[in-house]
Amino acid sequence: MFKAVILAGNAALMAISMENLAQAAIEAALRVGATFADVRIENTTSTIIEMSDGVTRRAVSSHLKGAGIRAFVDGAWAFGQTTDLTLKGMQVAGESVARLALATRSKVRERFDINGPAFRDHVKLTVKRHFHDVGMEEKMAFAKQIDSQAREYDSRIANTRTVYGDSWTELYVANSLGTSVYIENSLPRIISVTTAKEGSNRQRAFKSVGVRGGFEAMETDEAQTLGTQSAELAVNLLSSVAAKGGVYDVVMDPVLNGVMVHEAFGHACEADNWPAHTTVLEDRVGKEVGPEHLNISDDPTLPGLRGSFEYDWEGTRTRKRYLVRKGVLTELLHSLETASRLGMEPNGAARAQSFMYMPIPRMSNTFMEPGDWTFEELIEETRHGILLCKFNYGYTDPSKGQFMFQASHGYLIENGELGQMVRDVSLAGQILEVLSKVDAVASDFELEAGTCGKNGQGVPDMSGGPHARVRDIPVGGM
Amino acid sequence: MSERGLEAAEFAVKRAESLGADQAEAYVGISRTFSIDVENSAIKSAAEKRDAGCGVRCVVAGRVGFAYVTTLDDNDITQAVTNALSLARVSVPDPDFSTLPSVTGSSPRVNGLYDRAMAEIDSESATEIVTRVVDSTAAGLEGRDFAIEAQVKVHTRHVAVANSLGIHHSYEGTFGYVYSSPTIKVDGEQTSTFDYEISRRLNRLNPEAVGKRVAEMVLSMLGARSIEGGTLPVILEPEAVSVILGSGFGAAVNAEEVQFGRSYISDALGDEIASLELTIVDDALLEGGVGSRPFDAEGVFSQRTVILEKGVLKSLLHNSYTSQKDGVENTANASRGSYMNLPSISTSNFVVRSERGSVDDLVQEFGRGVICRDTGDRPNMTTGDLSAMIMEGFYFENGDIKHPLKNTLIGINMRDLLKRVVRVGGDVRQTSGAITPSIVIESATVTSG
Repeated sequence: MFKAVILAGNAALMAISMENLAQAAIEAALRVGATFADVRIENTTSTIIEMSDGVTRRAVSSHLKGAGIRAFVDGAWAFGQTTDLTLKGMQVAGESVARLALATRSKVRERFDINGPAFRDHVKLTVKRHFHDVGMEEKMAFAKQIDSQAREYDSRIANTRTVYGDSWTELYVANSLGTSVYIENSLPRIISVTTAKEGSNRQRAFKSVGVRGGFEAMETDEAQTLGTQSAELAVNLLSSVAAKGGVYDVVMDPVLNGVMVHEAFGHACEADNWPAHTTVLEDRVGKEVGPEHLNISDDPTLPGLRGSFEYDWEGTRTRKRYLVRKGVLTELLHSLETASRLGMEPNGAARAQSFMYMPIPRMSNTFMEPGDWTFEELIEETRHGILLCKFNYGYTDPSKGQFMFQASHGYLIENGELGQMVRDVSLAGQILEVLSKVDAVASDFELEAGTCGKNGQGVPDMSGGPHARVRDIPVGGM
Repeated sequence: MSERGLEAAEFAVKRAESLGADQAEAYVGISRTFSIDVENSAIKSAAEKRDAGCGVRCVVAGRVGFAYVTTLDDNDITQAVTNALSLARVSVPDPDFSTLPSVTGSSPRVNGLYDRAMAEIDSESATEIVTRVVDSTAAGLEGRDFAIEAQVKVHTRHVAVANSLGIHHSYEGTFGYVYSSPTIKVDGEQTSTFDYEISRRLNRLNPEAVGKRVAEMVLSMLGARSIEGGTLPVILEPEAVSVILGSGFGAAVNAEEVQFGRSYISDALGDEIASLELTIVDDALLEGGVGSRPFDAEGVFSQRTVILEKGVLKSLLHNSYTSQKDGVENTANASRGSYMNLPSISTSNFVVRSERGSVDDLVQEFGRGVICRDTGDRPNMTTGDLSAMIMEGFYFENGDIKHPLKNTLIGINMRDLLKRVVRVGGDVRQTSGAITPSIVIESATVTSG
């Protein structure tokens, strides 16, 4: 029994446990005729502070609290949400969602059941400095410090923008299989975006640090010098040139490799694509999708990472997922539904942006496992090509098998040495082709924080890996 | 409903003033969204979301703080006000901020924002619409191995804005869309596409038309190949124009980005920055427009703003902050995705003036080149460099469409792209981000492999 102390501010609720609230909705849904129902009750507080050119541009405090309710019968789902966190409110919402599922039932074609293990747990997250215990002055001062660093770095800095964000989440998940799980999450992030200008040449650089932890995670050297780092990159970019389009041998840095693994492969492994028949990997489970030295994993159990969580948003215990082992597609990212339908084991990959959304299969911390090359060997042996670093963005359509992503900058490789700096380099490729082109994987390793969007839901994640080389990839030019 | 929203907004403003705000503003959103989703050609789920919340902006001695809460409960709103005030008190004041907006002009008449049929749609009618789009898509793919994803979504939103300077407005609007995305497999090859119609009126959504178009399109996308790269004309279809111009140029004329030197457009008011062919208007007053509204997200009355007239940059898009900073007229382009956001700046209805001709006519006219139907790419807003993957597109030669494209990218700087618009078509579409026909870029670098 977990007391609903998180609902402070609504005194009437204090005496009612989240378990009771959730049960009211679940029981109501089952009574109406649902065969499965689940509830997520969320309480999230967050802060965003944006400084630009030394002044506060945005100071936002938010409070998200409410419940998302799903009901299921014979293959038909219905979803609803409520912010009326009373026994009566939850009961009404449970009934209404179940009725919607029943109304939808006659139209579904594939009938199936939702099965899965039930978990009962209460996991508290220990942080050194809870966001609630850090004054707004200190958060503001930190953002100001990073912004000042960037502004003072060089006279060519034309604009600075610093965004500090933190969010503290308490999440309770219960379902009609008997799951009752409480988890906490604490995510701080600092972003620095700097624009440098020389004549009509203007360049912008982006740096960020995001982890799972308290405010103490913002006290590392990397976080504390972020403004300097982004200003340095922006100034360096002033002497970069646009890359010439063509087909290149590309060495990706760990961050860009992570983007490739995420965009070109991770999304296609999300198991909701299987019943929908919307992934080019549909017939590839258990088959070779890349060379033997290739291993790709998704691991939400790594401590302190932005994409980590003990239980997913359906209350399933998480574990490491081996998507590709020795070049073979071995595992998918499951929700309770996809695991039930495909007869596989749920592995805790269902996530939702907030209680306002239905959980769907998502990545967590996704990466290529390191190999045995050194970075120096990779560059020297490549002779002619391009080293691409960091990223601006990327996207994919698993049903077409096409992906693209854009590196923030890079360096030409000429005669086995790094040469001219280039910027904004886009790569396009096919999911089914690109992995077989990865012919060398280094032994280093790094992960970068991000936020991944799918079906209108953004979730915090990380991606990365070692340096790796991809042969013969089309690179866009100006 | 309108009273409840305005009451909550007024309550928040009064509470903020009594707790020490010099000025305060509250934005309340109350919405209902109903959707039905189709997976593998059959209905799978339905969702009904009701959301009501309040965002409060407080000003204390020239410092601004903002907070929101996902309820309209008095205690929660009071807590949000307290949080906004405490943030304001520790902020570094922005010398360019002087005041929240006050009431100027009179309320414009904007017709066709609300459709009762859409607002009151029940699950049976929604199911019927989505079934029709699936059936018509399937009819065009008979005998093929296909899987259709589809969705119908309707949204009703009541918005209320109040502030300390007398702004006190509310309105209610609806919009909805019907969407279909078939994936087909033929001889080991797999491809997919999508199409949709979006409108504020239920009876304007034509599921059969969407199904017919999307089925034809997906069949035409089989056999994708790369091509020999080079410098080629590019036809951007409305969906791609909506991304590249609607977002990629719409954001460049955002006055905030220009003021901070982050836009590739700067100091260019009155300059000929684009081809004579290009006239673009931001029209928030358009009857039934998906982006129309009587007032913007700060409660300032809406207007029609000419952005580009025959290639000449006529105006940037402003909210109250940027217009005060530049000492110019506020174009009422303050926008917020919901009560959860502070006002930023965005287009309302981004309208590209149409000329004549279909895509087929343009292919005939230009002989050889590529068609970009859709891309997910936007330019680097600072440099203007655009490297866009052709997510869906075709290669044409001798006035005929030859084959669909894969692994193909277009590279061009936005300043060049604007100058090289040599033709504007007549095939106007309402996309999610613009009202636009196809346009032709005289030449861009095409890389393929």
